[in-house]
Amino acid sequence: MNQPSSNTDKEPLSVELTEVWKKFPGVVANAGVELAVERGSIHALLGENGAGKSTLMNILAGVYRPDSGDLKIHGRSHQFRNPADALSAGVGMVHQEFRLIPSFSVAENVVLGSAPSVIKTGRVESDVAEMAHRFGLQVNPSQPLWQLSMGERQKVEILKVLWRDAQVLILDEPTTVLTPSEVDELGQILRRMADDGRSIIFISHKLHEISGICDHATVLRQGKTVAKSLPMASTNQDELARLMVGAAPTLPSQQKGPPPGPALLEINNLSALSDRGVNAFSGINFRIHSGEILGIAGVAGNGQRELADVIAGLRPSNGGTLIMNGTDITTESPHHRFKSGLAYIPEDRLGVGLAPRLSITDNAILRVYRQQRKGPFISGDRAKSYCSNIISRFGVKAGNLSGPIAALSGGNLQRLLVGRELDGKPSVVVASQPTRGLDVKGVKAIQDLLIEQRNAGAAVMMISEDLDELLAIADRLLVIEGGALRGEFDPQTASRQEVGMAMLSDKQTPTNL
Amino acid sequence: MRRPRLSLREQPLPGGQPLAFGIGLAIALFVGILLLLGAGHDPVKIYSRMFEASLGDPNAWSITLNRAIPLGLAGLAVAVAGSMGLWNIGAEGQIMAGAIAAAWVARVGGDWPGFILILMMLIGAVGGGAILAIGPAVARSKLGVNEIITTLMLNEVAIRLVQWLIHGPWKDPDSFNFPLAPMLPDQARLPTLFSRAHFGLLIAAAVIVVASVAVRYTAWGYELRIAGSSEATARYSGISLPKKILTVLVLSGAIAGLAGGIELTGTADRLTETISNGFGFAGIIVAALALMRPSGVAVVAVLFGAVQIGGQSIQTLGVSSSVSTILQAFVLFGAIGAGVLSRYAITFDSESHLTAEAKS
Repeated sequence: MNQPSSNTDKEPLSVELTEVWKKFPGVVANAGVELAVERGSIHALLGENGAGKSTLMNILAGVYRPDSGDLKIHGRSHQFRNPADALSAGVGMVHQEFRLIPSFSVAENVVLGSAPSVIKTGRVESDVAEMAHRFGLQVNPSQPLWQLSMGERQKVEILKVLWRDAQVLILDEPTTVLTPSEVDELGQILRRMADDGRSIIFISHKLHEISGICDHATVLRQGKTVAKSLPMASTNQDELARLMVGAAPTLPSQQKGPPPGPALLEINNLSALSDRGVNAFSGINFRIHSGEILGIAGVAGNGQRELADVIAGLRPSNGGTLIMNGTDITTESPHHRFKSGLAYIPEDRLGVGLAPRLSITDNAILRVYRQQRKGPFISGDRAKSYCSNIISRFGVKAGNLSGPIAALSGGNLQRLLVGRELDGKPSVVVASQPTRGLDVKGVKAIQDLLIEQRNAGAAVMMISEDLDELLAIADRLLVIEGGALRGEFDPQTASRQEVGMAMLSDKQTPTNL
Repeated sequence: MRRPRLSLREQPLPGGQPLAFGIGLAIALFVGILLLLGAGHDPVKIYSRMFEASLGDPNAWSITLNRAIPLGLAGLAVAVAGSMGLWNIGAEGQIMAGAIAAAWVARVGGDWPGFILILMMLIGAVGGGAILAIGPAVARSKLGVNEIITTLMLNEVAIRLVQWLIHGPWKDPDSFNFPLAPMLPDQARLPTLFSRAHFGLLIAAAVIVVASVAVRYTAWGYELRIAGSSEATARYSGISLPKKILTVLVLSGAIAGLAGGIELTGTADRLTETISNGFGFAGIIVAALALMRPSGVAVVAVLFGAVQIGGQSIQTLGVSSSVSTILQAFVLFGAIGAGVLSRYAITFDSESHLTAEAKS
């Protein structure tokens, strides 16, 4: 580990975290994390999804309490009980999801929660304007928030934290909502704040952005600090990427299925918007063949979730075509797609794939209840026997079948959902993060089911953030980044680092296949 | 520092909602004792009078059951919409719309035979309630307009419509210029079952049973419950949400309208401004206490009817009728509170507790 060279001068570090531990049921999110941030510097916090960045920052911002470990701000030990404690010690967080009120003006949003009991609008607006000017945050304090772009809203969030006189600012993936020119502007704003003596912790996945903005980088992997306060001047993107993804463990390759048959799903020049109304992905082309598992690798939020939704018919596309089994299904309903042989295992199991307030039986028959009708009624006997069949075939551990589905554990929920989707012998299976959050046994069970489908001749598309998993079971790997495909890899020969680099950098080399 | 915190129980406490209702009732009665003592009354005497007047003999039961009819149907209207996560706050107005339509049928068919006339009045009532619900239903399903606001506002429209009718075109010429609609024809009265209980009881019971079965056991009800649990899951499985929202809100209005029709032919003898008597709003409480389950509204409606009738009866003992209203409110507060506690446990978290957990 590299120690910062400037750590020897008298001035205390603005943030010093030592041996921070935080466990959640079933996961150790932080296992003795170390972080040291100098006053007046911009510090990158890097790591893959699940590396423990967010947990650590939530601890620093007072949202979570650590199980153990030391937290010092400007040399003084603190134990934050809530975000207000952290804020009064000078730590403020700019969250990824903005917490702003659309009908309020910029100034009102900035002072919200810390306003004097009598608000003199003119005075507040001029104070906010002055502060905005000092740091180069160009916003009009009297403008209503709903008129602002995402980039401007982020400035309001930053102003909110500055208004509360935060000396340490945490920015959680601040560039995901910004255009490239806004990213440059953000870099300048952050530099001004650092020159003013404040410290900034910048969480990101995008290595090329960090190198332009940050002074130091700390890298987390699997809840541990693998590099502490690396000076950006003495490192490069390759080294950071390697630190983030780790050395490639050579996994035994799973038995490969039959050689791929005809293309069962063709995606031609497909585009769609995200919930925010900007491009989620565009111009995507690929095919999935019978008898293959196509892995889609990428850091969350790069368009893969929307891609899965568009294939399943839950989100409209705004360009391109979807051909399944030779027929154009671009405008077909989700139910029609299911009937033509598309199984969809959504990322959000309880809430999209399953109805949380209904019983296990009710959830099991979601795809077949139309066939289980006797007149207007759903046959209770048929529903029960269908449900017990799914449960025994797919090894779901469930007590009372009329009990609420929400009582099942994560692994059993997923087995039920996957079992239900695979029961109709689909020709195309789209699985979005199908093993996320499951224990080792559950992961194995779901992977085995997908391999079984592949061997039976289905075309399987598997979206995962777990690169090791994809390298182990996929026959072909595509990397998605920034809503475009950035390369195709053969899991047999590709190195973890090679794929990791494609996931993390946005080299403008869109791949058409 | 120890701070109390609510945490979700893995399994709700056994007994669940009936127990919660019982606890709510107990809390309400206890608060009532304090109120009555404070006002200088003898709680034992007042409570025994309330019980006698509402559940003491068949006659008392018949009055309570007659009250339970509109409460149950209004509760059902709210619960059917609530099964899908929709809030029909407009049952009050839909009851009035149903009563207006039924009264109109009685004006048109004043010389029809009783059976036909009553049947047509009730069909008219169903239509009247449905018509008042169509606007909010279309707005919600096509444009996503919040149905709470639209249904609530239409209550005002319905009450003004009743007022206009009985002050204006439908004013009884023989009413000595009082704003009264004419009496219904004699054959337009629902037959009596026992004491004062009228035939509407059977109609309401049948409607509640049919609706409960439909929601619980049919494919239609299944889709409703899926959509009520998660709209995303409904879309995923190919359920057409706009169509569902439209039919469910109109059906909800129709059920409330039926309550208005039955109230008119069963207990009222003419259309009045107070025909809906707050039943539509009380129905929201009934449905909430039944956890939005159509099968639960009947029991809750009878108990709620008993509290209302009991509360009215003690006015002759010099106790303000507000006492009854306060009791109803505390039944709701107590039951909701107890319902929360059956699903959540109160835990105290403290530093020592957290570190102990971390070390283990």
